Amino acid sequence: MEPVLEIKGVSVSFPGVKALDEVSFSVGKGEVVGLIGENGAGKSTVLKVLNGIYQPDSGGVFVDGAPVRIASPRDAFDKGIAMVFQEQLILPSLTVAENIFLGREEEFLRYGLISKSRMNAAAADELRKVHLEVHPGRRCADLTFADRQMVEIAKALSLDGRIKGDVTILLDEPTSMLEKKEIDLLFGIVEDLKQRASIVFISHRLEEVLAISDRVYVMRDGKVVFETPAKDATVKALHQHMVGRQLHHEYYREARQAAPTAVPVMEAQGLARRNSFSNVSFTLHEGEIIGIAGVIGSGREDLAKCLAGHKPIDAGTLKVGGKLVSFRAAHDAAACGIGLVPSERKTEGLVATFSVAENMTLAALPKFVSNGMIRFGDEEKIAHDWIVRLKIRTPSVRTKVGSLSGGNQQKVVLAKWRVAGVRVVILDHPTRGIDVGAKEDVYELVRDMTAEGLAVILLGDTLEEVIGLSSRILVMRDGEIAATFDAARGKKPTQVELVGYMV
Amino acid sequence: MMPASRERLQDYAPLIVLAALVFAIGIYDRSFFSSSNLLTIVADTMTLFLMASGVTFVIMIGGIDLSVQSVASMSSCVLAVSLSHLGFAAVPLAILGGAVAGTAGGLVSTKLRIPSFIATLAISGVVTSVGFWLSTERSINISAEDSAKSLSWAVGEALGVPNEIWLGVFVLAILSALLDLTPFGRLVRAIGSQERAVMASGIDVNRTKIAAYALSGTMAGIAGVVMAARLGSGSPTLANEFLLPAIACIVVGGTAITGGVGSIWRTFVGALIVQVVRIGMTFVGVSAFAQQIVFGSILVAAVAITMDRSKIAVIK
Repeated sequence: MEPVLEIKGVSVSFPGVKALDEVSFSVGKGEVVGLIGENGAGKSTVLKVLNGIYQPDSGGVFVDGAPVRIASPRDAFDKGIAMVFQEQLILPSLTVAENIFLGREEEFLRYGLISKSRMNAAAADELRKVHLEVHPGRRCADLTFADRQMVEIAKALSLDGRIKGDVTILLDEPTSMLEKKEIDLLFGIVEDLKQRASIVFISHRLEEVLAISDRVYVMRDGKVVFETPAKDATVKALHQHMVGRQLHHEYYREARQAAPTAVPVMEAQGLARRNSFSNVSFTLHEGEIIGIAGVIGSGREDLAKCLAGHKPIDAGTLKVGGKLVSFRAAHDAAACGIGLVPSERKTEGLVATFSVAENMTLAALPKFVSNGMIRFGDEEKIAHDWIVRLKIRTPSVRTKVGSLSGGNQQKVVLAKWRVAGVRVVILDHPTRGIDVGAKEDVYELVRDMTAEGLAVILLGDTLEEVIGLSSRILVMRDGEIAATFDAARGKKPTQVELVGYMV
Repeated sequence: MMPASRERLQDYAPLIVLAALVFAIGIYDRSFFSSSNLLTIVADTMTLFLMASGVTFVIMIGGIDLSVQSVASMSSCVLAVSLSHLGFAAVPLAILGGAVAGTAGGLVSTKLRIPSFIATLAISGVVTSVGFWLSTERSINISAEDSAKSLSWAVGEALGVPNEIWLGVFVLAILSALLDLTPFGRLVRAIGSQERAVMASGIDVNRTKIAAYALSGTMAGIAGVVMAARLGSGSPTLANEFLLPAIACIVVGGTAITGGVGSIWRTFVGALIVQVVRIGMTFVGVSAFAQQIVFGSILVAAVAITMDRSKIAVIK
């Protein structure tokens, strides 16, 4: 089959990390290509190259066999490539129709003004394609998350019929937030679309990819490691290629998992927050890792925020170190020795324009002050110590944290709480968007922390991570603890056992 | 150009702009270079700098303080009204008035969660009324003997240099140390760069923010006292027309209006640039009608040169 869209030997680097390493990839006409890999494998980067958001450092992009430069998403659109993003790019203050035709308003000009009726009529046609029954004049802020996702898909599909030549639609994890019913609908649309367009489909749900794709690429650490027709592949084989190893316990440093001590550091009794979670009780001991598993809407994200003082608790009691506490803000929790490593690393974890050293001492600044002045020498010394201890790759202690790779940034966030001397660390998706190697470093560091008597609450990036790291697992469903699993070394529950209580 | 050297050049850009302006005007009219003229220009700039120096902290945290001109006017009234009764104690009292007004703006903004633009505008109205009430709606003269007794530190001269300049340099040194060497200054920068991360690091950001507004009010109070001392009177409209130039000084110096990036010396140099442009136009003979146009154009050009916009993703 002649490829309509192809990249050959493309490499893309960001400061400190090689996101794509000599990647070649092609899509045939009317073909559905699945692209799978773990977080940070480079899947989204491939799509962003095809969509003109990133420019390749080397290698080339080809449309219908001819080399092209895709300068911007708009340029990609004009070349017949549209993308549905993982993080929604719908503007909530605009209407459905305005979102679908954002940047292409000239199609609907009459006497220099936008004809709302014509735009809405055209949008209604696009919405019909995705079977979405909302009025095109409604503001997107009023739609549900899933409906907004469908609008985003409709926006990409609107390309079909608007340009000459072949159309390729890039779908970056379009199903991760959708319900079963909507996923089935989406798959129907994709089947239908194959007559007219080519599709690239990213997902980490392997069954989905196998069901919908003609051909599958597996990526790992920025490289394509496997390519196969979908009909010849099995979930097990794909998984093997994806993680690049037999699932062995050492990945999560299970040998270093110590039995927790009997010393309680945090005792929760009947914690509740309106419309979020209720009746949450547990005791966290020194050296223990409690993992919390649950789908979106299970209330685990809010629970983590409440335990760190970012949001108030409505009912229940919380004891830290045996003392009853109540948090009005994060600084109350920090004063009790609780630190949160947030999932939003760039906005909540770090001050990007600050240096490595400045970030590390941010939560413990008073320790570095004499006579009202910061002791810069001591600050640099302790920063240097932690850079060595956590193997942080940075040119110097005065380097701006924003220029480091995700993994090294995350280590700086961990160092910040270690410098502050916290007793409890809450890890909210600690390995989101970081390299595989850096992930293992983070796991190692988590084990170091518990070995030193710190207690950890973990909201893992994957279920596998929760199982691998935790000594005990709470499964949350609809705001309540649905089950508790002991996860002592060598006696880990399986994913299937947990999932049974999650949904 | 190498990124590193480019960044260094950006650091000195305000100084280069100032030097270029002084040089250009001096070429046109040599008398501009005379030491007495230069000293007068610098001395005249100091009240503007005093006012802008405090606002710099508020802008650094990503806020704005629109109350400073009213606060300075009110302080001048407090000083003028109480000087004959209290003697030198009127000076700290007037400055305290400024501090209270600044703190009030900070409290309204942080505790009631009202944008600083509106919070300080509202405080500005209240403070103006206080000024009118204190002064019974007129300007109050300060007698020469009171002035000689209690205000010579502001209007006199030492080692041939006007005391305003000594005061300005002293404030420059103290506030620079506060911003660059203390935990307060560190948090001011951090809050302006990424407030959510500072909050999540377990820091009570409101304390630092209120302190920044209090400092802004305090400096406006000092500016009001110095103005009253120089003019020999206090009035509820004394510092009118000072607010926008004060903000202009800060921005011309290269401090980002969005917060996080900036310094006090930049505001100092920015104030000098604003003043040199104003005086310079008269020297060069720009017609009074065109002066606002020229002033505006030079401000835009100066900001374009001095501000490091590469660090800011979206300009609002």
